Amino acid sequence: MATAAIESHDPHAGAHPATSTGLNNTKIAIWAFIGSECFFFASLISTYLIYKGRSLVGPFPHEAWTDPSTHQVFKAILNIPITSVSTFVLLMSSLAMVLAHSAVVRGDRKSSKIWLASTALLGATFLGFQAYEFTSFVHEGLTIHTNLFGSSFFILTGFHGAHVTAGVIWLLTLLFIDIKRGLTPDEAINVDVCALYWHFVDVVWIAIFTLVYLIK
Amino acid sequence: MATTVSLPPTPYTATTHKYESGLWSWLSTTDHKRVGQLYLYTSLFWFLVGGLEAGMIRTQLYGPNGHFVSATTYNELFTMHGTTMIFLVIMPLSAAFFNFLIPLQIGARDVAFPRLNAFSYWVFLFGGLFINASWFFHAAPNAGWFGYAPLTTRPYSPGLNIDFWVIGLQILGISSLAAGFNFITTIINMRAPGMHFMRMPVFTWMAFITQFLIVLAFPIITVALTFLMLDRFFGTNFYEVSAGADPLLWQHLFWLFGHPEVYILILPAFGLVSEVIPVFSRKPLFGYPVMIYSGILIAFLGFGVWAHHMFAVGMGPIADSFFSITTMLIAIPTGVKIFNWLGTMWGGSLRFTTAMKFAIGLVALFTIGGISGVMHASPPSDLQQTDSYFIVAHFHYVLFGGSMMGLFAGLYFFYPKITGRLMGEKAGSWHFWLTAIGMNLTFFPMHFLGLHGMPRRISTYDAGQGWEQDNHLASYGAILIVIGTCFFVYNWFRSMKTGKVAGNDPWGGATLEWMIPSPPPDYNFATIPNVTSRYPLWDRKSPRLTAEVPHGSAAETKIDVEVAGQKTGTLPAPSDTTGNAASPQPVTSSAKQLGIVMPTPTIRPLLAALSLGSVFIGLIMHKNLPIMFLAAICFMLSLYSWLLTPLEPEHH
Amino acid sequence: MTRDLRMRWLTPALALLLVLSLSACTSFTPNSIFGAHSQFGHIVDSLTRKLVVLGAIVFVLVETLIVFILVKFRERDGNREAKQFHGNATLEIGWTLVPAIILAFIAVPTIKTIFETEAKAPPSALQVEVIGHQWWWEFRYPQYGITTANELYLPVGRTANFALTTKDVLHSFWIPQLDGKRDLISNHTNYIWFTPDSAFAWNGFCAEYCGTSHANMRFKVFTVAPAEFDAWAAHQKTNAVGSAPPAPAPGAATDSAKGTPPVTKIATAVGTTTPAGEVAPPPVATPVMNVSDTVSATFPRNKLPEWVIPKTPTPAALTFDASATGDATRGMTLFRTAPCIACHAIRGVPTAQGIVGPNLTHVGGRTTIAGGIYPNDLHHLELWIKNAPAMKPGSLMPLFGKAEKGATPGVYTDQQIADLAAYLSSLK
Repeated sequence: MATAAIESHDPHAGAHPATSTGLNNTKIAIWAFIGSECFFFASLISTYLIYKGRSLVGPFPHEAWTDPSTHQVFKAILNIPITSVSTFVLLMSSLAMVLAHSAVVRGDRKSSKIWLASTALLGATFLGFQAYEFTSFVHEGLTIHTNLFGSSFFILTGFHGAHVTAGVIWLLTLLFIDIKRGLTPDEAINVDVCALYWHFVDVVWIAIFTLVYLIK
Repeated sequence: MATTVSLPPTPYTATTHKYESGLWSWLSTTDHKRVGQLYLYTSLFWFLVGGLEAGMIRTQLYGPNGHFVSATTYNELFTMHGTTMIFLVIMPLSAAFFNFLIPLQIGARDVAFPRLNAFSYWVFLFGGLFINASWFFHAAPNAGWFGYAPLTTRPYSPGLNIDFWVIGLQILGISSLAAGFNFITTIINMRAPGMHFMRMPVFTWMAFITQFLIVLAFPIITVALTFLMLDRFFGTNFYEVSAGADPLLWQHLFWLFGHPEVYILILPAFGLVSEVIPVFSRKPLFGYPVMIYSGILIAFLGFGVWAHHMFAVGMGPIADSFFSITTMLIAIPTGVKIFNWLGTMWGGSLRFTTAMKFAIGLVALFTIGGISGVMHASPPSDLQQTDSYFIVAHFHYVLFGGSMMGLFAGLYFFYPKITGRLMGEKAGSWHFWLTAIGMNLTFFPMHFLGLHGMPRRISTYDAGQGWEQDNHLASYGAILIVIGTCFFVYNWFRSMKTGKVAGNDPWGGATLEWMIPSPPPDYNFATIPNVTSRYPLWDRKSPRLTAEVPHGSAAETKIDVEVAGQKTGTLPAPSDTTGNAASPQPVTSSAKQLGIVMPTPTIRPLLAALSLGSVFIGLIMHKNLPIMFLAAICFMLSLYSWLLTPLEPEHH
Repeated sequence: MTRDLRMRWLTPALALLLVLSLSACTSFTPNSIFGAHSQFGHIVDSLTRKLVVLGAIVFVLVETLIVFILVKFRERDGNREAKQFHGNATLEIGWTLVPAIILAFIAVPTIKTIFETEAKAPPSALQVEVIGHQWWWEFRYPQYGITTANELYLPVGRTANFALTTKDVLHSFWIPQLDGKRDLISNHTNYIWFTPDSAFAWNGFCAEYCGTSHANMRFKVFTVAPAEFDAWAAHQKTNAVGSAPPAPAPGAATDSAKGTPPVTKIATAVGTTTPAGEVAPPPVATPVMNVSDTVSATFPRNKLPEWVIPKTPTPAALTFDASATGDATRGMTLFRTAPCIACHAIRGVPTAQGIVGPNLTHVGGRTTIAGGIYPNDLHHLELWIKNAPAMKPGSLMPLFGKAEKGATPGVYTDQQIADLAAYLSSLK
């Protein structure tokens, strides 16, 4: 799935002669990729929603559950306050991404490094939150094996986390290049494409946060 | 009217270009024409394998209570026959044409991402080998090509069989998706000046629509397969009945992909036939815009009909009615296509070359598949037809009578462009008639088998059920198809040595690919052409043929775009109007001499594909984590090495 | 030249035509979906016939047009001119609208039929629970407390409502001459109902691929006169012959409380469930069974049509000692402690309560064994017990014959197996 993003690293993609639309090839490819990803996440989210409330045993996302055989009580799994914070962090990373892109366009090498680094850092922070969330859920008795909720929740958010991870690696690569030799304004397309991907991953999280966490 | 296409300043003809040869040049190629040929030969190989499987199926079913193969083997055979023909034959054979033709038809020097293109092929090759490697472990996939859960889950399929299937399809999906992004970008962005969307050859259009279907449908099957893979390897519950899972989840996800997939299989063939019929009718395509719009409409509706594969699962009357109506609606644009082909032939002067015969074969036989398709669009009627041989007959008329006939038409039509020589017409005619008669003899009786109560996917049937005669006929038909295919293979290889030299334009084609030598030089076009109508070559050679189709204004021809250091613009019209025959002496020019910058050959896409494949090898080896981890590292390294190496040599 | 050209492709074209007509010649079609024998069948039949006729008309028109074009516009000597036109809006609209109108003619009766056939079954219907297993069918009649396998008995003229579930993978319930398919889906209960209108024996099939022996998952349906059905049901409720003195079987009390619906009530039910005009007049089923004798309250073997008698050949490598003559009493003693009871139940035999395999209470009265693929006689029964996996690929029943090669070692001699077979055969 990540293959379209691959070629977009190509620093010479921008050096191609004029295209039919005047747009960069990589940019069109990333849009096609994002279209594809929409269907990917739509399938994952639909599965989660279809299986919502159909788990035979707990724990459940929004309500407590008592195991009828052991009488052990499992509290509602989802921790909305903490996830709200991580959602905010991810949203802020999109802002940083915009600033990074504009810095590269301006040729402002100092700001571009700062904002690329902050975007990656905010992304990594989000991943940290997710790691904490996953570990605590496992401690509370929810794994991918437990029930339909566990399987569909972990796989959905896990795939999103994998996308964030890929984005962070991508950002770090750009940062590395920027530090090493500097990203010139005519290479801004590479940051632009990365930004499109990053914003998309962000938007997907908003959908997940709303549909999985907020709606009971 | 005649001065509507610009021509290269230096004419050239066939045999001017000599390919680099040697194994290394193939392993490291990024040339879309070579990648196309790799796709071509690989898929033709799998076609023979899939045909062998079909032959064994027909041997087993020749008579009642057959014991040519065991039930276990039979189940593997029909699963692999379906999987092979769909994912390893029709799709990659279409991809061979996408690769070879799209850049030529739109006047480009290569695809948008040449290395990603090579990567797609290597991943495809790997996926095909992976699935078929299962035979050597006596564990070929055995749950049918749509592998319904929960039969595919670990409790009911504990062996490696389904592991091979689920991982293999996953690998092939990566290949299709990568190619999809690539071709979408290529078609949107790499068109020659003046090649507006409504001037694009119909094949390119159908390929374009197909790429959107691939890009939007494959993520859905990716998710469905990922769930199955996680269930089988990591113990999730997506299809685990004991955890309350709903087996219909798989069916919905699968057919949400599966029905667009049907159009992924047929639209490229429609495109090829739309190239062949006008040329051999000596007329422009009838209703070009309608052909395009109907293609788009088919693709769009294709996402809203998936549950017609599921009328027997008990969705309730409302859902049944909805999907019944949408399914009937999709018959309308499909019918329109058939009538437009007939309109193209009407009033023409038809030349019955082998390519044309196969194209007409598609029109005539796909119609039958379409009619039976409408019959099971009616749910109550479908309850009697679904999962019976009636369905087997239906989809073989669509996929063999439709897709394969169209692809054969394309093979005969474009063989001279690929190899520089024409395929033998006599052997071609034998191939066509044996295939057409054999195909009907095999699949027409299956309609009756279905109506007479024979369920599909059964390894044996009892005597005295009224099924013997039709099964005999079907098996005889298979023999004819096999003989026909022998003619094809013989013809293919013999023509490569002894076929007539084709020249640039053996058929009197209308589109850009026919204005360059056969086989084309690696840079395709010495000068990027400037296009002013749908039929640039007819404009030049026989303007009478295109007098009525819309053309650009004269001003439009003065687009001044610099391509690879060369200006393209209006050039004086040539004096000769007879095509290659009167061309001047060949001028051998390499890309370097012409100053055209071509991508550097590289092995990196192959390395990336190999290491990606090794991740999956690790997975099937009972989740061998060290191998998976190592392969993943190798993949990342080869990816970085690929992405940080410039595409082209840096000297311009 | 022109003539030659025409002749050259006339031959293969004629061959093609011959091919198409050849396949339609089969006249013997015992499992045909046409000429249905139930109210469901009649409705769907008339719809399908409409589709076939319309399809045939379109087929003939389009293919004739193709042939006409090919002949009329073929390249001729001295004429290489093609008329140059490339589109016509009127035509395009025309061939968009005409198919749309034809489709409307299909859509309207389709929707009508969907709602007709998927309506709820009348409450008076005979309830049958169909449970799919790899690779055999379990049938339960909850109103009668009967559990049987692979053979259905249905009263003519009374609606039978089938509740479909599966114990393992997906299956599909199909009796071509009586009803369409309905899938058996894990964690779902599906329904299909129909009213048989003539008494006979029919073939049923599993129509959803379900693994190794999908081809061998068949069943038989016997539609009989209501009185005969009652006799059959009454007999099925009794304990197995030769078993301990009849003790009330589980569920029997509630069954008798519900009682068997009287025949007259059935007749009124028929009147209410059949839509006007669609169904043949109230069926008159000719009695075929000897109702007075409850022991033989099964479809008589000698009246079975040829095509419901399985002809599956037995594996050549599987032989049986011809001199071993079974003794039912010895067999009964053996059975009660044999591994058989882990999977099979026999009503009246307290030790035999297994639920994994088919219920064997009146197995001797069935016409087939092993999912409808072998006739039920001593010979086949012996071979089956001796080595089921060889008789039916993938069979979940292990082999029991000594010296047979398989996943598990067999324990019984041919003599012991013959005893078991004799016992089972006696359970009429």
